[in-house]
Amino acid sequence: MTTTLTSSAPSLGSSVEARRTGPSLPTLVGLEMRKSLSHRSGRAFAASAALLGPAGMALAATDAEFGWVAGPIGIVGSMTGLVLLALGVVSTAGEWTHRTVQTTFLLVPQRGRVLAAKSVAVAVLGAAFAAVSAGLSLAVIAAVGVADLNWDGTGQALVTAVGAGAAFAVIGAGVGAATANTPAALTSLYLLIMGVLPLVRAWNLELAQWLDPAEATMVLAQGDAEARSIAVLAGWVVVATVAGWVLTHSRPVD
Amino acid sequence: MITVSGLTKRYGDRTVVDDVSFTLEPGTVTGFLGPNGAGKTTTMRMMTGLVPPSAGSATVDGRPYGELPNPGAVVGTLLDASAVHPGRTGRTHLRLLATAIGVPAERADEVLAQVGLTDAARRRVGGYSLGMRQRLGIAGALLADPPVLMFDEPVNGLDPEGIRWMRDLLRGHAARGGTVLLSSHLLGEVEHTVDRLLVIGGGRIVADGSVASLLGADGAVVRAADASALGAALEAAGFHVEPGDDGALVVPGARPADIGAVAAAGGHVLLDLRPVQRGLEDLFFQLTTPEGTLS
Repeated sequence: MTTTLTSSAPSLGSSVEARRTGPSLPTLVGLEMRKSLSHRSGRAFAASAALLGPAGMALAATDAEFGWVAGPIGIVGSMTGLVLLALGVVSTAGEWTHRTVQTTFLLVPQRGRVLAAKSVAVAVLGAAFAAVSAGLSLAVIAAVGVADLNWDGTGQALVTAVGAGAAFAVIGAGVGAATANTPAALTSLYLLIMGVLPLVRAWNLELAQWLDPAEATMVLAQGDAEARSIAVLAGWVVVATVAGWVLTHSRPVD
Repeated sequence: MITVSGLTKRYGDRTVVDDVSFTLEPGTVTGFLGPNGAGKTTTMRMMTGLVPPSAGSATVDGRPYGELPNPGAVVGTLLDASAVHPGRTGRTHLRLLATAIGVPAERADEVLAQVGLTDAARRRVGGYSLGMRQRLGIAGALLADPPVLMFDEPVNGLDPEGIRWMRDLLRGHAARGGTVLLSSHLLGEVEHTVDRLLVIGGGRIVADGSVASLLGADGAVVRAADASALGAALEAAGFHVEPGDDGALVVPGARPADIGAVAAAGGHVLLDLRPVQRGLEDLFFQLTTPEGTLS
């Protein structure tokens, strides 16, 4: 640490030109995207989201043959979405866990604006990383798949993977904002999707199909049960976002 | 100007801030003093909209903090130096704040130099000491060179050089027409920095006035070559004299000038003569202890 200390400039604000209004929504979205990728955990989630799918496809290729593109792309979209949940959670709950939410709300007191910017930011990042993941996975499948690979429905599978990436990230941001606690949000989300919903499936298949966002992503990518799958993903996005919105507005920053 | 009016915070049946009112004028440094748990931090959080008040209001230039168009350009706030993501570098942290406030990104480097953190700018905040985090928090508050500075316990973790630097910074800010609110639980940390003291205890403002008026002299201490002769002379002049430490004489209610006059008249050689300062602790006990319980 340097020991050179200097005092302030001669007259208040004369040397600094500050914006007179609050940040625009696009500025806030850009800021939130930078925040998400400004530390190692954020970059690790981003890299995992982009690379886990293709790595999984490459591993699977050692033991199985790919005959149809849309099927594995649906699985990749679902896996990537589960990773992107964490990116969303960290963008909101991480602020409360590290107490940085204090500075965030001091500079932008309109909590709804901050939350909206975070949701858009993680949706854009989620879609981008899901697109990279799906694109790389597609390349792996094309390289190791059977000679007469079935490309039917590939377009819908890719769109689903990218859309699910955005949706899962927004769901994570909503649940993170609602819980204000990163470990609690991640534990409850993964326990619910990977632990409780499979049990529900064993007990009542139809109910599970209306609740499970990971399965909804897979079947939508494969062109099945489209309306139900979109409803399931949209339902998760709405419930998580509303819960995050309500609880963020009512919570004091102590 | 900052106006706080009847600010109150209750948690259930516990009142942590009770009808607090004051105004802060430009060109002054106000010390917000009280022991831990007195309600300083909660008051400052209500003033900045982080905690909703149960009653009362606080305004900055006539508007609630949350309705300022760009609050970071008007009020530079440091409430909790640990509220920084440990995985970001100091420079990245400040550049993110610069975007939110709407000042050029280069301001991050300028304020890092101003607080003496240039060499640590590219290190992750997780590796910073408490004093370095305080400096980083102050750097963030200075980004827009705002007219109001509000710091909660900023001296924690600072070394003596840092405390002196902070004093110069805040005095300089007030001299340029800025408004400063500085909280502390230790008078010694801020008594040479502030013009005015707001003393809070049990959630209520128990004193509000200049440092001199609240902690002014309450007698004098004198040491003389012949203490017993001077003591007799002072008694003869009508003063009550008490024995102090190390041969000193304590003269309650006397000004140093009064004692000097008696000593000069009698030709007494003085070794030391100074006013007795009341400490904040004494003042605090005096203000917060219910009458009748003092012994």
